[in-house]
Amino acid sequence: MTDKPAYSEAFQELQEIVADIEDGQIDVDALSEKVKRAAELIRICKEKLRGTSEDVQQILKELEESGSGNEMHDR
Amino acid sequence: MPQQILDKTVFSLSEVGRSIQKTLRNRYSNSYWIRAELNKLNHYGQSGHCFPELVEKDNDTIRAQMRSVLWREDYAAINGKFLEVLKEPLKDGIKILLLGRISFDPVYGLSIRIVDIDPSFTLGDLEQEKQACIAALVREGLFEKNKALSVPLLPQRIAVISAETSKGYVDFTRIIDQNESHYRFFHMLFPALLQGDQAARSISAQLTCIKEIIQHFDLVAIIRGGGDDIGLSCYNNLYLSRAVADFPLPVFTGIGHATNETVTEMVAHTNAITPTKLAETLIAYFRDYDNKVWNLAEKINHASRQQLTLNRHLFISSVNQLRSGVNEQLAHERYGLQESSLRLKSGTKSLLSDNGRELKGLESSVGQLHPDNVLKRGYSITRHKGKALKSGQKLRKGDLLETTLFDSVVQSQTITTQKREKP
Repeated sequence: MTDKPAYSEAFQELQEIVADIEDGQIDVDALSEKVKRAAELIRICKEKLRGTSEDVQQILKELEESGSGNEMHDR
Repeated sequence: MPQQILDKTVFSLSEVGRSIQKTLRNRYSNSYWIRAELNKLNHYGQSGHCFPELVEKDNDTIRAQMRSVLWREDYAAINGKFLEVLKEPLKDGIKILLLGRISFDPVYGLSIRIVDIDPSFTLGDLEQEKQACIAALVREGLFEKNKALSVPLLPQRIAVISAETSKGYVDFTRIIDQNESHYRFFHMLFPALLQGDQAARSISAQLTCIKEIIQHFDLVAIIRGGGDDIGLSCYNNLYLSRAVADFPLPVFTGIGHATNETVTEMVAHTNAITPTKLAETLIAYFRDYDNKVWNLAEKINHASRQQLTLNRHLFISSVNQLRSGVNEQLAHERYGLQESSLRLKSGTKSLLSDNGRELKGLESSVGQLHPDNVLKRGYSITRHKGKALKSGQKLRKGDLLETTLFDSVVQSQTITTQKREKP
């Protein structure tokens, strides 16, 4: 859950950077910084497409602790 | 035959039974269309016969209750019609319109022998139930509730309600796990019965279970498929439909059938219809996001290059401006310098020639002033101790003097000095 806002925010920040650059509001010195930041954000966004940190065992454990674990196998 | 015992006519039980049987047979010689609820079908697999329990209820009060029989051949024919018309088998809890004969057997008692059941009556009843379910959800404000939830940019973590052996589940997981773009999904199976009477309760229970660990998931997918279209009326169940509509995560359905949309599918966030389409829908979210990120990257690339080019142009034109400005200034200065140098040259020349003339004059005047010429004219120089005297006031008597004339030097001694009266 913790990484969910990260990629959403990264995506949003990326959109803002694009808007700023397209507006021509950024001078050349700042531009290089912004492009560097954008590259980092793109990396975060792309990584999310091909990775997830969820773990079935962990979820099952939480489920048992919550007391509903039995329902999983109640068919 | 009844017996006379004392003053009483006594019947045996079988005589009573046979009498009732005869009376009823005469009285109820036809078959009748009867409306009833099929409380329990009581189908015996081994014999193939059914002994349905029929009731008539007024709300929850039982107004009438009767046993019935449905022989194997009749059951097969009727069930076949139900499957064809309703996509549901003959089952507990449905309302039926049956064609039956009242029969009485001295051993088994009163029952209705079911000859036929009209599936369209049950269909209408189920449809009515479905409409009542929709109306209830609309009334409760839940009908559009799940649809109003927003799907995350990347619906990556899927809680799957299905059965491991379902072909639909196998298709679904194969497609999302082996997508050609290598998008990565996390999915976890919450096994449930997917059709029939127990399905509504089974699926609802898993929804409750998922709610406990909801923070691990982005959406719920209910997947069934590969089977026929039979036994899907459970998805019109109010309890299940409400659980789906009111679920805090978007619920996607891929129940996989060609008949009318069920209420569960109607209230779901997205009804993908088949498990395959559901998987493709999820991948489409990823592709869309992927494209958006690419687009943004492209835009940054383009816009920053454009800005750099613009800046380079500005720089070059500034440099050009500076250069031409400097050149102009230099040319101007050079011209000025040349002018000055020309002026200096010509000025110097004329000055020099002027001066030359003057000098010649001076030369002759200076010549005139040469001591020899002066001496020639009768002037003389008197020195005392080697220094030319301009005044005699400091001279003392006996001081030696040396007087230079044009052609000789005279030594003399001071006798007196006196101040000269200037004319």
